[in-house]
Amino acid sequence: MYYRRTLTDEQINRELLGAVFSTPLWWVLLVSVLGFIVLGAASAVGFMVDQGLQVTGLNRSVFWGFFITNFVFWVGISHAGVMISAILRLSQAEWRRPMTRAAEVMTVFSLMTAAMMPLVHLGRLWRFYWFTPFDFARGIWPDVRSPLVWDPMAITTYLTGSVLFVYTALIPDLAVIRDRSTGWRKTVYGILSLNWHGNPRQWKLQAIAGILLSALILPVFVSVHSIVSWDFGVSLVPSWHVTVFAPYFVIGAVHSGVSAVVTLMAIMKKLYKLDNYIWEEHFDAVGRLLVVVATAWLFFFWLDLVFAFWLAEEQELTVWRLRLFHAPWSWLFLTFIVFSYVIPVPLWLSRRVRRNLTMMIITTLMVNVGMWLERFIIVVPSLMQKGPLTFDYAAYRPSIVEITIVGGTFALVAFLILMFSKFFPLIPLWEAKEGQRLGDAIKVGAISVPGIVKEE
Amino acid sequence: MRISDPKDMWAEGPSEKEIVQDVLSRYHHISSRFLAWCGVLGILFLLAVVVVLIRLSNGFEDRSEWGYYSATLLFIALTFMSTPIISAGLRLAKGQWRRSMTRVPELYGVVGMLGLLMLFPAIAALPPIEGRRTIWFEWPTFAPMGWDAVGVLALVLTGLAMLWMLAIPDLAKVRDHFPLSGRQKFITWLAMGWVGSVRQWRIHRLGVLTLGGMYLLLFPLVATLLGSELSAGLLPGYKDAIQPAYLIIVGVQAGLALTLVTMYVLRSTGGYERYLGVDQFWALSKPLLALSLLWFYFWWSSFITFWYGRQPSEVNIIRFLMFESYRIPFLMAFFLNFVMPLLALMWNPVRKSLAGPALVSVGILIGTLFNTIRLVVSAYSVPDPTLHLLTELPKGQVPGAIDLLIVVGGISGAVLLFLIASKIIPPFSLWEMGEGTRLVRVRRFMNRTVRVISKQN
Amino acid sequence: MTTVKQVPVRPDYKWSMVVDIDRCTGCQACVVACQSENNVPINDETSFQQHRAIEWIRIERYWEGEFPNVKARFIPVLCQHCENAPCEPVCPVYATYHNNSGMNVQVYNRCVGTRYCANGCPYHARNFNYKDPEWPDELKNQLNPDVTVRHRGIMEKCSFCVQRIRRATRAQSERVQDGAFQPACAQACPTDAIVFGDISNPQSKVARLADDKRNYKVLQALGTDPNVIYLKKVEA
Repeated sequence: MYYRRTLTDEQINRELLGAVFSTPLWWVLLVSVLGFIVLGAASAVGFMVDQGLQVTGLNRSVFWGFFITNFVFWVGISHAGVMISAILRLSQAEWRRPMTRAAEVMTVFSLMTAAMMPLVHLGRLWRFYWFTPFDFARGIWPDVRSPLVWDPMAITTYLTGSVLFVYTALIPDLAVIRDRSTGWRKTVYGILSLNWHGNPRQWKLQAIAGILLSALILPVFVSVHSIVSWDFGVSLVPSWHVTVFAPYFVIGAVHSGVSAVVTLMAIMKKLYKLDNYIWEEHFDAVGRLLVVVATAWLFFFWLDLVFAFWLAEEQELTVWRLRLFHAPWSWLFLTFIVFSYVIPVPLWLSRRVRRNLTMMIITTLMVNVGMWLERFIIVVPSLMQKGPLTFDYAAYRPSIVEITIVGGTFALVAFLILMFSKFFPLIPLWEAKEGQRLGDAIKVGAISVPGIVKEE
Repeated sequence: MRISDPKDMWAEGPSEKEIVQDVLSRYHHISSRFLAWCGVLGILFLLAVVVVLIRLSNGFEDRSEWGYYSATLLFIALTFMSTPIISAGLRLAKGQWRRSMTRVPELYGVVGMLGLLMLFPAIAALPPIEGRRTIWFEWPTFAPMGWDAVGVLALVLTGLAMLWMLAIPDLAKVRDHFPLSGRQKFITWLAMGWVGSVRQWRIHRLGVLTLGGMYLLLFPLVATLLGSELSAGLLPGYKDAIQPAYLIIVGVQAGLALTLVTMYVLRSTGGYERYLGVDQFWALSKPLLALSLLWFYFWWSSFITFWYGRQPSEVNIIRFLMFESYRIPFLMAFFLNFVMPLLALMWNPVRKSLAGPALVSVGILIGTLFNTIRLVVSAYSVPDPTLHLLTELPKGQVPGAIDLLIVVGGISGAVLLFLIASKIIPPFSLWEMGEGTRLVRVRRFMNRTVRVISKQN
Repeated sequence: MTTVKQVPVRPDYKWSMVVDIDRCTGCQACVVACQSENNVPINDETSFQQHRAIEWIRIERYWEGEFPNVKARFIPVLCQHCENAPCEPVCPVYATYHNNSGMNVQVYNRCVGTRYCANGCPYHARNFNYKDPEWPDELKNQLNPDVTVRHRGIMEKCSFCVQRIRRATRAQSERVQDGAFQPACAQACPTDAIVFGDISNPQSKVARLADDKRNYKVLQALGTDPNVIYLKKVEA
């Protein structure tokens, strides 16, 4: 049952803005450590640009490795924001309220990180601007036939939309901070809050903007990861040339992204002591959503597997034999399927597990480990396998530079989210207040059933 | 917790007693128009049965003769047997507006029996599985007929069980409402001694959830089976991993369209306007629009992979199924299942009307029929499915008079089954509507009236 | 043999190559010649161990039979200059495209090194510069001034010795005679296993050899339509 806590506006303001107005020691320590790791990764990138890609583990067969895996993974994580914010907003699910901003912010930062990955893996990184649709005095424009040109188009569209999404939802909260601050803070937040005073006209615009953005960003959300999947799908590499990749990747992204949001929410609840706002019921509801999404993902994975054997093409069978039967790929594969589905989903069927914070953190972290491995298993074995002609097939072992850079991306996203929380509240104040006002209950016989007010 | 004072609310809409009285009286009465329709549909169906039996005597040498028959089977399986998913899905999502319309899609579950019956000649017409692509790979024991039949049977039984379980409280109402007669004896038996005790409701809830979940899992399986048997396995070089998922979308879109059309008919001819209003049509038009977009998305995923890769085997498949031999069914399906729903349903006034979604749904049903014809008739007309490459594209097979009879008769049989079922099980879920009257209140909120909706966990 | 589309005959040249497997002895003279003509970086033991060796043309060796009846089979593999190349549409910066002489051209200046083209090539004919090339001082004088020395981060592959083609076709206004020049590999081959020329000229040696009944194209079923034609080995 939903236990509604009655919170006053003042209490909401004070508790949720606590992180903005004070700086706890753990925050400083964590940000320093993460910042240090990010600096390390940045130096690794510099080293790689200077020395060339020879410092990676890539070779003449396996041209794409850790960086592309990481790229697809972070694009995947970025799908969480839209799923939770836009879809749950449009379907008016009450339990989305504490999660929307954290999810959207994670989308923005993970998308930015993802966009960096294909740049980092370029042979001539300093020429990356040639992807821009502009004739830089060379007489030619980018080739729109290439999926690598569709990628930046999709990602920048999604990034723009997500930033707008975060910003429009942030405005009322920025006004609250402005009203509670003095000095430079007041000026800066005053400018950012765009003269928000909370009158009916402004709220109406806010509501319309929210609905429009939610509806418009949905096709973008589906198309971004589909376009990333077509990087693989339209090529002729065996086991990449599969029609199911687009929805398979999208639903995998939702699976991994929503799990990441759950991890984030659980950590937020613990670190910022947000027990009044993030309840067991939220994890219960997300857990049920995850069961459905994960099972749908499993169906697409099964389709990929079954149809790989459909034409019994020797090339494709070789890749799958490598994935399923040869160490270390067989171990990676087993880990992936166990971590992504076999352990978490049956656990999530139990209400007790869904409401247990520690279990949710563990299971959702497992899911993301498994999903990272999934991307790795898709990218590298296909490039590694011995083709009909090739006299040069090779194994791939990531170098320390690649590991540092990939690890750095995780630190970067965490770092950015922590920095964000210093300046903006991670739980939308106005959503919490709206949830309070719309809460109600109905007497049915002797029982009071909690209800929600819906406008006609 | 603020508790809504019973005195400051007023219930809007009919009370549970009024609903039960109204619906049951309409359901019980069998008008002459109803009988006339049953007669017409019955005759068409019988004609089709006769024609099929005649064809059966010809045997299965010429596979292309069975193309339209199998296309009808796939159409019925996708359209009519996907409808329980709509009911299960809406119940999972817990929308309040669904309460008055979920029984209609559940009732269509009975058409599964026809689908199961039609399965056997369609599979018998298939060539042996050696040397060609199938999902049975190296394991031919009982394949394909045995396992396909098991799969479809499981789906049909689950659908029937789900319908029965969901209907039991209402059948009990019917049992108690009307005097004993022939029909009533059957209904009394179906109601299985339901009295509405707490224990019975608990078992009921568990059963509904379990059966709904099972149906949600079984339908994709059956779509995969039928898609690969009737279509993909017979087309040389056709490796399309997304086709089962595409067929699921095709099926659910068509099932939703079928539900909308049926709701419209029930409203206008059955006199049920009070329960099937703009709210329901508006709410259902949104998933219909979403499914139309998904239709395009899944089709495009398959197309872009084949077209961009320029592999000879795949390019020939595209030419066969979309650009040359079966261009007309493809264009019809593309327009009716994607372009028209998108252009019509993107406008809120269209979504908020009654005729809008209903007309779009009729188009979708016709488009789905063209789509299944495109996928199955083409496959059955390929002379040698063991090839790796479709070198010569067979010409598009235009339906003969017999083929048309089979298609029309099959669909008539499906609708007839629904009509008969609707006179045994009430076409409205009375117990769910009653639940709704208890869980929804209308009250004042800051100078406006709003609905307060509670959700049980 | 189904080709996807018929490419119209260009009024320009259509450069093609015929490789006679029967004549190939696997001596690797073509590999060495290619390397010196095209400033291909030196491959040492480390490059081979790292599987990063750059070879514009490579000799693949296959063993047949059991001892004592073992036979070695050689097939030189180079960029096939496919008419339906899978590497071409995927380059985001037009660094690789099909010119109107039937060749797949690599423009080093434009390449940003996404390596997508390399993934698509079913013949694995494309090479990537993982590091800047180094030549000892003594060998710098033997670099060919007609050919760019590639920087790190750039893709490269067989160009049919496009510098020789350009030199020959630009030296005169009439059509170049068959045999007036050859790519380095054809020039170095001791058994004349590699023959190069304009296949649109029916009198050229390439056109006549391409009609031989031993002809085939490698990985034909993929529909890439290569411009390199192989002649099968005759079994003794």
